Amino acid sequence: MPHENEKNDLELIRNFLKDRIGPAQTEKIVPEATLTDLGIDSLMQVELLFEFEDKTGISVPTDIPPPKTVGELLQQLKEIRSRQAIK
Amino acid sequence: MKRHRVAITGLGLINPYGEGDVADFFSRIMRGESAIRYHTLGNSPRPLALPLVACSHFNPIETLGPPLANAMDRFSHFAVASALSAWQDSGLAKPANRDDYGVSWGTGSGGSLTIERGYQTLYFENKEKVSPLSVVLAMNNSAASHIAIQLGLGGPCVTSTVACASSSIAIGDAFRLIREGRINLMLAGGSEAPLSYGVIRAWQAMRVLSDGDEATAYRATRPFSKNRSGLTLAEGAAALVIENWDHARARGARIYAEIVGYGNTCDRTHIARPDSAGQSRAIVAALQDGGLHPDEIDYVNAHGTSTVEGDAIEIQSIKSVFGGHAGKLAVSSTKSMHGHSLGAAGAMEALITALALYRQAAPPTANVTEIGADCAGVDHVLGLGRSNVPIRAALSNSFAFGGSNAVLAFRSVAAQE
Repeated sequence: MPHENEKNDLELIRNFLKDRIGPAQTEKIVPEATLTDLGIDSLMQVELLFEFEDKTGISVPTDIPPPKTVGELLQQLKEIRSRQAIK
Repeated sequence: MKRHRVAITGLGLINPYGEGDVADFFSRIMRGESAIRYHTLGNSPRPLALPLVACSHFNPIETLGPPLANAMDRFSHFAVASALSAWQDSGLAKPANRDDYGVSWGTGSGGSLTIERGYQTLYFENKEKVSPLSVVLAMNNSAASHIAIQLGLGGPCVTSTVACASSSIAIGDAFRLIREGRINLMLAGGSEAPLSYGVIRAWQAMRVLSDGDEATAYRATRPFSKNRSGLTLAEGAAALVIENWDHARARGARIYAEIVGYGNTCDRTHIARPDSAGQSRAIVAALQDGGLHPDEIDYVNAHGTSTVEGDAIEIQSIKSVFGGHAGKLAVSSTKSMHGHSLGAAGAMEALITALALYRQAAPPTANVTEIGADCAGVDHVLGLGRSNVPIRAALSNSFAFGGSNAVLAFRSVAAQE
């Protein structure tokens, strides 16, 4: 199940960014990719977190540090999920 | 201070008639063809249908690509698309990456669609948050900034919000910067995207919108006519590349017309009712600024919104400045065809005036069968435009709510050579 969530989160990121950075770029959205290289700015990151909240119903804290890579972002989403599960 | 001459070297717009270019737009204007149609507004809580000019054919995703289109309000879509088109027309390289080039843009209500969407989300969908892009989508200067980013223009990047005179003032201020030698080139113009339920209801409440149905919508705006009954809201944009004359000549650019004068006054009388004295002062200021004698003006693109009071006052202003010459002065309001795009109107009409000078052709006022007695006394161009008429110099009037008046004066390049 955790692996399933991680896969879903990566898919959510890819789907969301398809329109933002162009469909041709979505293949480059892999855990090692840096957000800067993908053209994802800080506002786009917030949009993405809002999308995560809307799709999963899990609320994202406002004080999470800005991730540098897609992998870091996935890890943050995983931690947010697990905290939610504990509650 | 040395005064530099100022050339118009590029024109672009969101063509309200469809996919055609600037030449297509101008030929339709000359034919007296109206772009006004009866539209039913989507996504409105109550049915709302009225005559409008909607650029429904314009697809921002196709024109600008998804990343850019998704990061902008509709008024910025229009702005960037028209600016790119004007830039291409001017023959300049893209991106310019020049700090002696800038942007001067006009808009009346900026990202009002984004603001309205935000209110819907918060008040009616009962959500806690709006898009994190809301501020940068809605702010009035976002259009100018997006243009500067796309074209690489590092000089001044300014926005004028002066209701229906916004983009005339944007062009006038750009003209002054170039004339004073402070900058070599400005991308100037304006855009507006006012076709939302809230904005239309606000205009309806002022009782200035003309009515109509499927059959009659095309002639909803009848400026200066005996039976005029109000204006038609329009969305859209127009952009002009305005350039130091020597800079334009050095690169072999086509020059449509020369901007020579700019008058900018305030009625200082009433927030909505126009005043002839204030308007006349703006016309005189533009003539004096451009070193023009009133008799040299052969065409005036009037503000002419088709309101009962406004049209009569504008004709009164023209007659008071031009005296005996008024009867020979060709006057038209092209809003009869492209509608009133508010903050974009001045730029659209400056574009038309530049083409009138370049083509030596006076565009008409459409939809009028009988001029109102209170609008008589000038040479109204009615129905069809007049081709092959000598136009040495021309004015474009913009008179805004708030009493702000802007008049731009242009000279024909052909007449000087």
